[in-house]
Order: sequence, then structure tokens, then C-alpha cells
Amino acid sequence: MSPYAQDYLDKVLLTYFGEPTEMVAWDKLPLNMHYAQGTVQDGSGRQLSLELSEPHTAIPEGTEVLWMGGNLAGQPSSWIKTWNEEKHLATLEMPLASNPDEGTPVILGPGEILADGRMLYAEHCQHCHGVTGDGMGPTAPYLNPKPRDYRRGIFKFTTTQSSKKASRHDLKNVIENGVPGTYMPSFKLLTEEESTAITEYVMWLAMRGEVEYQLIRLLGDGYSLEAIADRTEDGSETATEIQNEFLESVNDPDSFPAEVDSIVSRLANDWESSQEEASEVRPLTPRVPYSKESIAKGRALYLKDSLKCAQCHGEAGFGDGSQTLAVSKDEAGQDNVGLGLYDTWGNHVKPRNLHTGIYRGGRRPIDLYSRLYAGIKGTPMPAFSTTLLRRSNPEDPNSEMTDEDIWHLVNYIYSVPFEDVQAGSESQAVDPAPASDDPTENEVAAK
Amino acid sequence: MKWFWCLFFAFWPTLTVALCLASPGLGWWFPGEAASPLGQRIDDLFYLILIICTIAFIGTQAGLAYVLFRGAYDTEPEAVTKKAWHSHGSHELEVIWSVIPAIVLLFIAFYQMDVWAEYRVKSAFPRDKMETALKRVNQKRTTKDSLALAEVTARQFEWLIRYPGFNDDGTLKPLMKDPQPTDLYAVNDLHLPASAPVMINLRTMDVQHSFFLPELRIKQDAVPGLTIPIWLEANKQQTYQLLCAELCGWGHYKMKARFVAESDENFIEYLRQLEREQNEDRVDDEPEPSDE
Ligand SMILES: [Cu+2]
Repeated sequence: MSPYAQDYLDKVLLTYFGEPTEMVAWDKLPLNMHYAQGTVQDGSGRQLSLELSEPHTAIPEGTEVLWMGGNLAGQPSSWIKTWNEEKHLATLEMPLASNPDEGTPVILGPGEILADGRMLYAEHCQHCHGVTGDGMGPTAPYLNPKPRDYRRGIFKFTTTQSSKKASRHDLKNVIENGVPGTYMPSFKLLTEEESTAITEYVMWLAMRGEVEYQLIRLLGDGYSLEAIADRTEDGSETATEIQNEFLESVNDPDSFPAEVDSIVSRLANDWESSQEEASEVRPLTPRVPYSKESIAKGRALYLKDSLKCAQCHGEAGFGDGSQTLAVSKDEAGQDNVGLGLYDTWGNHVKPRNLHTGIYRGGRRPIDLYSRLYAGIKGTPMPAFSTTLLRRSNPEDPNSEMTDEDIWHLVNYIYSVPFEDVQAGSESQAVDPAPASDDPTENEVAAK
Repeated sequence: MKWFWCLFFAFWPTLTVALCLASPGLGWWFPGEAASPLGQRIDDLFYLILIICTIAFIGTQAGLAYVLFRGAYDTEPEAVTKKAWHSHGSHELEVIWSVIPAIVLLFIAFYQMDVWAEYRVKSAFPRDKMETALKRVNQKRTTKDSLALAEVTARQFEWLIRYPGFNDDGTLKPLMKDPQPTDLYAVNDLHLPASAPVMINLRTMDVQHSFFLPELRIKQDAVPGLTIPIWLEANKQQTYQLLCAELCGWGHYKMKARFVAESDENFIEYLRQLEREQNEDRVDDEPEPSDE
């Protein structure tokens, strides 16, 4: 990146996001960054009665009241001394200079949730995931798999449609339950408010990172050092001309500023729509009961050529399919450096060994269903919903699978750790393992 | 200078005693009363040893201070000149300070055996009580099945808990050594019945960890390759801390969990809740179909 393009990029980020240590609360981002937002119902002296948009978090003593409009716009903030949650009535520390009009928009605790989230992130997350969420904290080099880099806005284990981002619920779920089989531990002891704050901050980091990434792609197109070298090579343009052209674009509201705006709008829309109920993966048919027949059907589907399960996960499910030894392409269409599969972040990934009984994205049937239906984002695990699915209509001949088929596959996957047969033979009935034959085992406590 | 040493050696024991007296008030003490019958016995033992040590400590320190004071006093210019008394090689003294500590140590050794036996010796193992507790939670088991109600697996840096699932008739299955399709899982949240001795199996997936319930005075290392049964009995229905007491890696401080001791009904209800959560398929709760 040329120095002037880098300057511009830094300035844009600083304006809209600030630093990780000093964040700018930007209304355009679909984040719940304030304790609450609402309007004034009535206010005089030290009493302020508010109407709040639900849901809001608890309002602690000392919360700032920021006037967003009306006759008090631009006036210094007030601070809440006591808060009556039932009546939404605030007693302020100082009497109001003038009575606010009814309907004056206010923000309670502006940016406080993000600020809390930052503190908690620094305490619990930063040493792996890094200050900017780049997954390069001081402990990261020692971990395998690597901590997630949030800056692409991609999260692997979600229960949203394949084209969508993660929902708040998914991020919270990972914070609370951890990711089994990785170094991401469970943070179940955090309070509801604390995990909410971390979730919002992580989303903020993801948005910031993604804006940066998109800007680099936008500006790098013509103003990276290589691009400038290319453009000046044949002598048609000089470096100064290019710089002037850049500065012109920066100052032309229809050029870069408009592009920045559309990048951010798109991203904000993406995140917002991912939170909607319609973005969730919702099976049309209830889970098919876990039975021998269902497992056998799942096994048959698993081995079907067109579904390609075995190509990665191996015929017996050990994660050793033929693709693990093939050359794969990266996003730019180039061959990857090593054999096997790579994720969006350029890390070598192994298809899951289904025999371990460890399910990183959660072990609920809906979790496994989501993995099959919407894929694992950022990895070669595809989404059957986009290519192979006819929603619960076995009559539709156009594609391979129905919702029931996904459930059969889910049941088969659940059965793999419990089968003691190798690939090719029929799945065995899943009887509980016999209790230990050694009667003294129960009495080891007595040793 | 001689007065300095006299005061110096008198100061430290005084400070120690003062700190010990102030400790409970400052919260530098046990995390409250022991929350289990065994914990109370361990505390009693601890206090007994503490009292013996305190008497010995104060006695020896006072002796030391007195000797230093005499020495300093007797060498003052105005002191009456006295002939020194040589005690080195005194047979009687040697016998006294060998025999008295030996008796004290033997007393502690015999006295504590009881507590240790209750925790770790076969004949004191509360098997009958434990079986009654399992019957109360309606668990169907044969004599060969494990008495444990849950398996706790430590891993960097959390506690993974595996409970047995339910039979079709609604009774609780026994906990099997190997994972079962019907098992229920939780992290960092151990629930067990209160007011009854219950057992868990402790394992570790990676390095050595230590299962520590400070309020119950239970601490047991989790050793790779071993399944270690631990029995415990919480007096009250409440939430306790569960910590890792072994520096197990960079995230050791994150290995905090809760141990909820609750009524038999709530314990079963908790397992039912886990079962519901784990079988969640998002279909029944909201019938409206999603569009793609
Ligand atoms: Cu540990």
C-alpha cells in the first residue's frame, strides 16, 4: 500500500472505529453498544422519566444520559444517581438546567457495553485472539488449531444460513460452551451481561477488521506499491499523477467516500440480517428418531458419490479421505502450497475424524444439522442447502437430499463413535457397553 | 546491639501471632465453615495441629526471647557478675526435647488415621449410603455398575462433565466407563444431589489437573491414564466453587466451574433439562418455517 493510501485507510478506520482502546460508537453499526436508548417522557429538576426501547440492560448508578436531540441537544450529559427500573424513572445527580421536551431522544450509557466488552475481552480473550482480533495474541503461536481471526467477519460454527454471518446467539454459545477439541474453553461462569458485552465487542472487532480488509482490496487495486509500479512502468503515468488522482478521488464525495459508505452499509446490512429469525437454520421435519434403520440410511448417504462426504472424511469416517492427499485451490484459484485442504485463513485443515465423538460446533442435533445444511463457514465443508437439497419434498427430482436425509446423516454421524465395525459392513446396533467385569472397579475408592 | 537482637527475635513471633489472630477477619482463612461432614473432621484435625503448633511456637519463641533478654541483661555494666551455666551435653534435656515431640507426633499420627480412613479406606467407604442415594434418584443399576453419578474430565482449560442418560421407562441409567449414545454432557457445571455421599469419576484428557472443591475440603489430582473415583457429600443445597488446583498451563486461571449441590428432584430435573437441550431440533418450539 502506498503511504498516502495507507494514511487514508488509517483515517477512515480511526474516524469510524477509533482504536481498540478508544472506540468510536458509530450508529451505523448494528451493535447494541449502549445500555439503553429511548425518549424522554417527562423531566424536570432531578427527575427524568424515560421510555426505553426494549430490551435494555441493567442501568447502574452513575450512568451517563446523552441528549441526542430536542432543546438539550449539544448540552453536557447528565448522570443518573438512582434508577427505578419499574417506572423507568431516573433521579439525576444534578438538577436539569432546563426541562427537556417530551420525546427528546436519549442514550443511556453511550458505548458502555462496548467499553465493558473491551475490558472483558482484554482479560479473557486477547492473549489468544489478539488486540485487533487477528488471532495472533501472545499465546497463539503455541496453539493448534489457531485462534480465530475475526477480521474477515467469518465464524465457523453458526446456526445461520450459509450466506449469512454468525448470530449473536452463536457467538454467545461459543463463549459459554467453548469449542471442544480446541483450546477455546468454556466461559460459563460469566454473567449474562458479561457475555453480551464480549459478544458485542467481538462483533465490533469483526466489523472493523472486515472494513479494513475491504478497504485494502479497494485501495490496493490501483494504489498498492505493486499497482503503482505497474502503472508507471510503461511511462504513461507518473507517480505524482497517480497520487494526485488518488487525492482527487478521496475528496470527491462520489468516489472513495461513497465506496466506503457502501462497504459499511453492506456489511451493516449483512450483520443485521443475520440476526433475524429468517436467517436461522430451521429444519422442516423434526429429528428422525435415532434408530438402526436411520443410521443405515445415513451411512448409505454418507457413502454416496455425489454427496462427497467420504472424499474428505474417509469411508470409515477417520478424516482420511482422498481429498486430504489431493492438491486444492485457494480462494484466488491458485494451488495451495501443500497437499490437502485449506481454510479461508490459509491454515491447513484436517477433515474431522468422526470417531472421536468431539463436535466442535456443539453436539446438539441442531448443531450437526446446521453443519450439514449450512456448511462450516470459512472451511471446505460445503453447505448442502445450496446445492443438494430439496426441502422435505422427496417428489422433487432436481436434487439429492431432503431434510429427512440430513437427519439420517446426523444419526449416522452420532453413531460413528459407537460402531466397532470398519467401513463397508453394516452399522451395528448401538447397545450400551457392558459394565466393567471387574467388580472391584466400583471399590477403587476404597483403595 | 545486644538489645536489638533481643527485640528482633521477640518481634517476629509477636507479629506471627497477631497476623494469625487477624487472618479470619481479613478473609485470609478457610472459605467459610467446611460444607461436608468429612470437611468438618479435616478442619478439626487442622485446628488441633494448629493449636499444638501454636503452643510449641509460642513456648519456644518465648524461651528464646527470655534467653536473649537474660544474656543481654546479665552483660550490662551494672549487672551482678554471674558464673555462666553450661548446658551443652545435658543428657536430661536431650531426652526431654526428643521424647515430648515424639509423643506429640505419635498422638497426631494416631488421631488423624481415623479421618484418613474415612476418606480413603475400604471399610469406611459409605457404600450403603451411596446406594440409598442412587435409589432415591431412581437409578437402575446392577451390583457391577459403577456407583458414580458423573464423569468429570479435566482438560486445558475446562471441566467436561458426562452424565448417564435415561432409560425409556424414565429411570436413570448407570454411568458406563465408555461414552454412550444416550449420555448427557455439560461444561463447567457439575450438579449432584446434596446431603448424601455421591461419587464421581475423575479423568483428564491432557495434562495433570487437580479437582478442588475448597468449601468441601476435597482435592484430588487428575492423572493422565487413570480414572479416579472421588466421593463427596455436600451438607447444604447450594452452589460451590470448583477449581483446578494444579498449575496446568497458561489458561490454568480459567479453570473455574461451579458445583451445584441440590435436591434429588432438582438433580433429575437438571438432567432432563440437559436432555431437552441436547435433543433440541428447533422444530417443535416454533412451527413457522424459515425461508432459504
Ligand atoms: Cu487445570
